[in-house]
Amino acid sequence: MQSKSALSSKQIILMIAIGIFSLSIGIWMSQKIQLADNDHQVPAGLDATVLPNARTLNDFSLSADNNQKFNLASLKGHWSFLFFGYTNCPDVCPITLKVMQQVWKTLPTKINEKGHPRLYFISVDPDRDSLDTLKKYVDFFNPEFTGVTGKLDEIDKLTKQIGILYGYEDKVSANNNNYTVNHSAQIILFDPQGRMRAVFSPPHEAKTIAANFQTIRLFYGD
Amino acid sequence: MLFTKILFRALITFICLGSFAHAAESLEIKDAWSPEAPPVAKVMAGYMTIKNVSNHEIKIVSLKSKLFKKVEIHLMDMSGGMMRMIRQDNLSIKPHAQIKLTPGVLHMMLIDPKKPIKTGSVIPVTFILDNNEKITTRIPVKNETE
Repeated sequence: MQSKSALSSKQIILMIAIGIFSLSIGIWMSQKIQLADNDHQVPAGLDATVLPNARTLNDFSLSADNNQKFNLASLKGHWSFLFFGYTNCPDVCPITLKVMQQVWKTLPTKINEKGHPRLYFISVDPDRDSLDTLKKYVDFFNPEFTGVTGKLDEIDKLTKQIGILYGYEDKVSANNNNYTVNHSAQIILFDPQGRMRAVFSPPHEAKTIAANFQTIRLFYGD
Repeated sequence: MLFTKILFRALITFICLGSFAHAAESLEIKDAWSPEAPPVAKVMAGYMTIKNVSNHEIKIVSLKSKLFKKVEIHLMDMSGGMMRMIRQDNLSIKPHAQIKLTPGVLHMMLIDPKKPIKTGSVIPVTFILDNNEKITTRIPVKNETE
C-alpha cells in the first residue's frame, strides 16, 4: 500500500514534469512561429516607416573612425542607426546628432548588451571630412557614436540602395572649401541581420525615435 | 541740494537718451541662442526672433561677427526629402513683422570660427541694414537642442 502510493506520487511528478516540458515546447514553438510571422509584419502606431520586407543590401566598402572597415558585415549582430551628413553642416546634422544623444540617454540597454544599438554618422563629404575629424565630431555628441566615410563610389553603393540622396552646391574647383552639401536627413534603422528595416523622417524627435525603436526591437527581436 | 538736482536731471536725461537710442533701432532681436558645436566644427548656427519695430520695410544687407570669418542667413528647404540650404541675401522684413530663425527652418550660419566657442560664451553679431543702421546683438552659446 505504502509502496504503491510512493509510486503514484513519482508518477504524478513525472506527469507534471512532462506537462511542464510540453508546455515550454509549445510556448517556444509559438514564439518561433510568431517571430517568423512578424518578419513580414509591421508594428502598428509608429511614426517611423517600417519596411514589411526588410531590405538585404549588396556589399560596400567604407572606413570607420576606429580604424575598422565599414561594410555590410559591420551592420550584423546589432541594431544600427545610419545618418548621412557632413561636419560643415550647421543645422540639421548637429541637431540630429543631439537628438540621437538624447535617444541614447533613454536606452534601457548599455554598450555591448543585447539589443543595444550603434550609431553611424556617414559623411558624404570625404574631401573635407577625414576620419580623424569625424571621430572628434561624433565623440562630442557621444563617444559610442562612430564616424564613417570613404570613396564617393563606395558611398554611392550604400546610399543608392537605401534611398539617401546628396549633392554639392558651389563646389566649382578642387581647392574651393566653401561649398555646402545638400543631403537627405532620414535616419535609417538596420536590424541585427544587417537589413534595412525602418526609416525615420525629419523633423527628428528624441522621444519618438526612442519609443519607436524599442517597439521595433521587441516586435522583431534582437 | 543743487548737486542732487543736477544729478537727478542728469539721470533723467540719461534714461531718456537711453530709451531714445533703444527706440531708434529698427530691429528687435529676441531669444537668441546658438547650440554648442563640436570643437572641430567649422560652422555654428544661430537661432532668434528678429522683429522689425519700425514703420518701414527693412532689409538685412549683411552680417558680421568678430569671432567668425563670415555670417549668413540660410533657409532650409526640405522639398523632396533633401536638405538644401539657400542663402538669404537682402532678407527683408515688413514693418512690424517678424521672422523666426528656428532649427530646421531658417538659421544664421556662423562660418569659420577664429577659435572654438564653448557653452557659456557669447557671440556678438552685427546686422547691417539698408538704412545704414548697425545693430549688434549678443548670442549666448548653449548646450541644448531647442
